[in-house]
Amino acid sequence: MTQALCILIGAMGGEGGGVLSDWLVDAAMQAGFPVQSTSVPGVAQRTGATTYYVEIFPQRRAELGGREPVLSLTPTAGQVDLMVASELVEAGRAIQNGYVHPAKTLLIASTHREYAVSEKAAMGDGRFDSERVLQAAQAQARAAVLLDMRALAQQHGTVINTVLFGAMAGSGVLPFSREQCEQAIERSGKAVQASLRGFAAGFEAASGRVQASTQLTERLQGTDRLPARARAWPAALHEVVASGVELTTHYQDARYAEQYLDAVERLLDAQRRLGQSDWAVTREAARYLALWMCYEDVVRVAQLKTRRERLERVRREVGAKPSDALRTTEYLKPGIDEIASLLPPVLARALLKATEGRAWHRGLLVRTDTLRGFLVLCALRSFKVFRRHGFRYAQEQAAIQRWLDAIESHLPDPAAALEIALAGNLVKGYGETNRRGHRNLTALLDAAQPGTPAQRLREIRLAALADPQGKQLSGALGRPVVAQPIRIVRRPQA
Amino acid sequence: MERSFAAEVRSLRLGAGETFHGEGILAVTKALLQSGVSYIGGYQGAPVSHLIDVLGDARGLLDELGVYFEASASEAGAAAMLGASIHYPVRGAVTWKSTVGTNVASDALSNLASAGVTGGALVILGEDYGEGSSIIQERTHAFAMKSQMWLLDPRPNLGSIVDAVERGFELSEASSTPVLLQLRIRACHVHGSFACKDNRSPAVSMRQPIEQPAYDYGRINLPPSIYQHERQKVEQRWPAALRYIQEAGLNERFDGDLSDVGLIVPGGLYNGVIRGLQSLGLADAFGASRLPIYALNVVYPLVPDEVLDFCRDKKAVLLVEEGQPNYIEDALHAVLRKAGVDTRLHGKDIFPMAGEYTGDVMVEALARFVEQAAPAGLVAAPIAAMAKALREHKAQASQAIGAPVPTRPPGFCIGCPERPVFSAIKQMQEKLGQVHVNADIGCHTFGTLPPFNVGSTVLGYGLGLASSSGVGPLLPNRTLSIMGDGGFWHNGFTSGVVNAVYNGQDSVLVILQNGYTSATGTQVIPSSPSQPLSKPLTLDIEKALHGVGVKWIRKVGSYHVEEMRDTLEEAMSTPEGGLKVIIADGECQLERQRRLKPKQAEQLKRGERVVRTRFGIDEDTCTGDHSCIRLSGCPSLTIKPNPSPLRTDPVASVNSACVGCGLCGENAHAAVLCPSFYKAEVVQNPTAFERFMARVRGALIERLAA
Repeated sequence: MTQALCILIGAMGGEGGGVLSDWLVDAAMQAGFPVQSTSVPGVAQRTGATTYYVEIFPQRRAELGGREPVLSLTPTAGQVDLMVASELVEAGRAIQNGYVHPAKTLLIASTHREYAVSEKAAMGDGRFDSERVLQAAQAQARAAVLLDMRALAQQHGTVINTVLFGAMAGSGVLPFSREQCEQAIERSGKAVQASLRGFAAGFEAASGRVQASTQLTERLQGTDRLPARARAWPAALHEVVASGVELTTHYQDARYAEQYLDAVERLLDAQRRLGQSDWAVTREAARYLALWMCYEDVVRVAQLKTRRERLERVRREVGAKPSDALRTTEYLKPGIDEIASLLPPVLARALLKATEGRAWHRGLLVRTDTLRGFLVLCALRSFKVFRRHGFRYAQEQAAIQRWLDAIESHLPDPAAALEIALAGNLVKGYGETNRRGHRNLTALLDAAQPGTPAQRLREIRLAALADPQGKQLSGALGRPVVAQPIRIVRRPQA
Repeated sequence: MERSFAAEVRSLRLGAGETFHGEGILAVTKALLQSGVSYIGGYQGAPVSHLIDVLGDARGLLDELGVYFEASASEAGAAAMLGASIHYPVRGAVTWKSTVGTNVASDALSNLASAGVTGGALVILGEDYGEGSSIIQERTHAFAMKSQMWLLDPRPNLGSIVDAVERGFELSEASSTPVLLQLRIRACHVHGSFACKDNRSPAVSMRQPIEQPAYDYGRINLPPSIYQHERQKVEQRWPAALRYIQEAGLNERFDGDLSDVGLIVPGGLYNGVIRGLQSLGLADAFGASRLPIYALNVVYPLVPDEVLDFCRDKKAVLLVEEGQPNYIEDALHAVLRKAGVDTRLHGKDIFPMAGEYTGDVMVEALARFVEQAAPAGLVAAPIAAMAKALREHKAQASQAIGAPVPTRPPGFCIGCPERPVFSAIKQMQEKLGQVHVNADIGCHTFGTLPPFNVGSTVLGYGLGLASSSGVGPLLPNRTLSIMGDGGFWHNGFTSGVVNAVYNGQDSVLVILQNGYTSATGTQVIPSSPSQPLSKPLTLDIEKALHGVGVKWIRKVGSYHVEEMRDTLEEAMSTPEGGLKVIIADGECQLERQRRLKPKQAEQLKRGERVVRTRFGIDEDTCTGDHSCIRLSGCPSLTIKPNPSPLRTDPVASVNSACVGCGLCGENAHAAVLCPSFYKAEVVQNPTAFERFMARVRGALIERLAA
């Protein structure tokens, strides 16, 4: 018995899923097949996930003698012939809902990621593990065409739906020809040339004639950048230490890098003394130590924003052509803390005391494409020489020392020491984010008594990353949740 | 308007012998014109917005036919329009999103149903139930029953849908009763074809008006007429309807060889049932089923004679009734028991009580029915095995990835003017503490979702402020209400603003003035900045507020986060009593881009100077905390792998879809986030002076750069 070809397309708003199903319908109709499409667009345009469902009856009308096939408006799990997903997690969603069947379904999916709000808003790394979806795709589908179609679309100056359509046509599942698909694109009459290019790219890729390659950014091997004294250290440390040296040197100077290496070496030696050979603790400590030592103060921001490579990167990122003029505006908002951080400790304390309880910030819009704006940043950049004498420097070094001491003292239990090393990642960012990080790390270190199991430290560390209000952290530490101090002025009583 | 409907308007002109290709809801629109309708109205909402959009673009055709069309101010207004058919032999149709629209319309509908109609009155209902729905899950069926209006639920193919429109008018006229035609969301969007007829110019139209206004006290909803109406409903209109449904053969019977069992299927679910049967090897691709089927294209009222005729010689029948309560099942039981027929009736004992009957649900339930009913001449074991295999596949697939993939709820569009307002509200709450927020319906309902989580209750369209009336006085602090400009004109002005002023309420209202009913596809409203055709800008929200005595009014540009936050703080804490209204002013970005893009493309083509704005993030100053994302949620503000070999957390990044609305920079300042954001204004085709300055500055900066 001839059965309808069932095609389910999972897409997000704005990706042209509707246009794609229109092309399919048009091509099928012109080829003489009964076809039906439907969708649940609803709020799809507003970035949500949505589906389009198309059924094509693979027998031409001319052969049906006036009989009309009854086509379904909803897909059924296990009966989808062609599952198309415009993004990797959408493919995952289709798999999870049972629409991909090992005996039945060809899966065509783009491997790129469009992150969901929950993934983006995490305080650390909230990304869903793509590997899980890729593995499930291989296991659950009859066959799978998986490639980065967004990259192909961008390369050909088109939208992803054209590449998807090409891949569908190239997969050999559709009962009509490549030409008939291309004619449907031509008849739709919008951005035809670009669409045809995208279609061709998708077609070739799915036909297996082109191996889609994901360009992984090659990481420089660390060894040649390593200072002499670190070359003899375990290889597991090389990459991190090389980057750390590079960062601290650029941030301050060669002496600062030496200071960095001293601290790393201290941990390394401690590990060696204990006869340990898994260097994860030292490596992670070296990672977060470098980042922490290079805390982002006004000087650092000015330094980074006036780098030559940054000027080029901005032009590239915003797609400015050489003939275009570019105006760049920086959003800076220094406050009392930023000023105090550069002052000598005595003066800084006096300033902070005098301004206690007042949150003063000055919003600055600095035009870095103008000479005046750029010079302001250059001036700030030059404060680097005073940094070591500044208030913040002293504070940060003391905090770093406490953290390093804690790692070292926990080394007999390497898992616990590793947790403390990883907790170095809590301190990052600017302003309130940075203060929160310090508070959280201090709370963790306070809780880290000798013998505190690694699992407990891990709980505290993850709780600190769970929500900015610190509710989970308070819970993990068994402290009362701190209520918000300020209340709205009450309604005047009548 | 979200899109142009020029092609669709052309297909409305097709005549006899031609074939219409297109969406279900457009087929309905064409069917209305073929039915000689005199007037059409409605209020937008998925999935019936296109009916209104297309007719809005088809004024030329409507004028030729003399058909009056208006985009009504609300569903209540649309329903009241049908009053034209009470006295006069004119056909009218209105449309809205059900059941929320029907709720709004119910006052007029009840009165219409009581008075009864002379000309055919048809309500096209877009039923938004099940997967992907954005409204409360209820059934229209109850409305039909309580007011005694007939409810059509045609099979979801264009031919049947068009037929239902034409027959619906006839049924309405034959029984003097308004008729409801419900179309599920997938049926509204189904793409198919049907053979057209010529459009019919109505006998009474704008070109050939009614000659003599009518008066008949019998049609007024006052005593004693109302008692007459109720009697007419049961003594005349109902029997007339049953007669017409039977004579016209509106319900369909399909025979099958397993004749000791049967299926009773509302028309709208027919295709799904056939697919379920196909999956189990019980039907072929053309719908020939081994189980007899009685398809109810009219789900209310039931025709007892037809039901009994279908059931009498069967040992068991299965009713496929989606949604709850199971009105049809109860009614069928009554029909069978009253007639003393002991056919076993299955329904919600086999199907799930709630939720959409998707493909999987159908397969599962049909298999169970066949197993229980055991029709003579069928080996049920392979069917049970098929259902089991599906069940096992689903169970296995749900675990295949090992962890649930992240959900992707809808959110504000890129550059949406409502996002900064919720950002400001979130920041205001960080300072003042948690506020009770009376949310409303519109795009702004997305403010209740992450990353904002702003909104305590949602009570209905335009009812944000009205829903603060009870809770406001019971809380020690002021509450904050949200309302869109669409909701304001729909009913929020009277039920919210006027009520609050009249009752002396001390509360705060934010009106999001984006110029359109954007959630339904950016249809125009009385205060839209650009109106189609000849209508100029007409109504002004601020003036309306002044007019009813609101004293504290502030108008703040939506994108000015700091100003908005400070204004919110002021409104929440000022000693001044009464209603305080903040108008957040910012045009819907979809509409703005739709206007700007072609214009800019033209300017570029002519070599004129164009400035394109977008935002960026310095990847080396971003530390991966993502505070900015927690205050925005913009689709173009996303994350990417950290380029630093030391950092493990992804960095924030602005992708090329950015429209440069400015929120990122505003938030960076307002919330003192981090200095990573920059605004880039790319000047294309710069002037000679700009080119010169850029060169000079570029050369100097290049030297200063490190």
